[in-house]
Amino acid sequence: MNPTSDLLARYLQAIGEHLPAATRDDVLAELRANLQAQLDDHAEELNRPLTDADIAAVLKDHGRPIVVAARYLPQQSLIGPAIFPYYLMTLRKAAPFAIVIIFLAHCSNILFVHTMPELIAGILRALGQLIPDLILFAAWITAAFAIGEYVYTHNPSKPFGASWDPTKLPAIKSQIKGKSRASRIFDLIFHCLWILYVLAIPGHPFLILGPGEFALRAFPVTFAPAWQTFYVLLLVILGFQLITKIIALNTHYDRAQVVLDLVTKLFGIATTAYLVTMKTYLVATGPSANLAMLANVNHWIGFGFRIVLLITLIDFLVEAWKLVRPSLGARSLVF
Amino acid sequence: MDATSNPSSDPQIFDSLRLELRRGCLIVAVLAQLRAEHYGYTLRKALADQGLAIEESTLYPLLRRLETQQLLTSQWREEDKRNKRFYKLSTQGETILTQLLAEWNSINDSVNNILQNSDRHSDQTSSTSERTS
Repeated sequence: MNPTSDLLARYLQAIGEHLPAATRDDVLAELRANLQAQLDDHAEELNRPLTDADIAAVLKDHGRPIVVAARYLPQQSLIGPAIFPYYLMTLRKAAPFAIVIIFLAHCSNILFVHTMPELIAGILRALGQLIPDLILFAAWITAAFAIGEYVYTHNPSKPFGASWDPTKLPAIKSQIKGKSRASRIFDLIFHCLWILYVLAIPGHPFLILGPGEFALRAFPVTFAPAWQTFYVLLLVILGFQLITKIIALNTHYDRAQVVLDLVTKLFGIATTAYLVTMKTYLVATGPSANLAMLANVNHWIGFGFRIVLLITLIDFLVEAWKLVRPSLGARSLVF
Repeated sequence: MDATSNPSSDPQIFDSLRLELRRGCLIVAVLAQLRAEHYGYTLRKALADQGLAIEESTLYPLLRRLETQQLLTSQWREEDKRNKRFYKLSTQGETILTQLLAEWNSINDSVNNILQNSDRHSDQTSSTSERTS
């Protein structure tokens, strides 16, 4: 076998490995004829037989076998340009929910830990498992859209075509500058952690009292039963905030979002007001308790809650003013 | 960095735009050249001789695609003691080529009009600024 046919045959064999059996022989025969003609021309130009190096240069110029073969195949893509924007949108919209659900699922065992190191280890473990689970989530979405792409390309009616209606586009969004999407996602994650923390408190008072838990045990006092009502109110607020934060993930920060924030603050004020009206925060559990000192402690705790109520009220009024102010217009603000 | 302030990126942008511009033109050229019968290598040489060089790895698969679209017909025939696949424009290919050439001329006329208008506008602008100064 001469060097020309040897190198050329090896080159064609390498291309053939990447071609489908149905067209392989035909494509290779055509390529052989074209390349052979090119080599013949080249030999004529040089006025001598071609060396291995000459042939190798021509074949190298023609391209890598796998790349050459790929050009004879139909254009392939896992998710084509018609489906890709929907794929990207789904990933973007679903990712925050996936993060929260996966994280909460891994965090659920935190509720049953008894010590602070266990709590920290549980949170770190949940964070560590988040990335592999998110990759798996993305893989499932990709697989679903790859199937969608196959169905789409084999469906002559082509959905996603001209079926959209411009008149159904959302209204122009308010220009109020809100938090970035990343910030809203982190906000939601921290809020979920905060809920878990609050849920774990009844079983693990050290989470809120710290070493004070042991000090409290040394005295014949305990928390008043009214705290249970407060705890339920707190969970209602946290649940409401969770819903607003989830809604905020996929909506731009607009006036509705500001109103929701204000409603949440209003719930907070109502809860603080309830704390103020409680008046008794700690109760005696035995005859040895110093009742005068207990009354004094209850008074000062109540005083502290009054200050908190005042601060939350001022904060609410300021935020409400910020909301109302743009709609009043410049003229109505001239006195 | 602003793209316009980076001269090193200009050749890349030009190459990319040139490739886009040539892609459609090459198909018209190949169809037109195949009014006469050619096999792959001689077609490539004929196009290159007329100033339209095209890579083998682009041309040969393109010929097969155009044949699948029934714009070309092909037949294996022996020439110089070698079997070669000869391509020729089909009747449907002739119709499509006529339509493409009409489109080509229309685009060409439009671009020329735009260029003439923009030249006239820039001349007016420069003469006004000269008068002002």
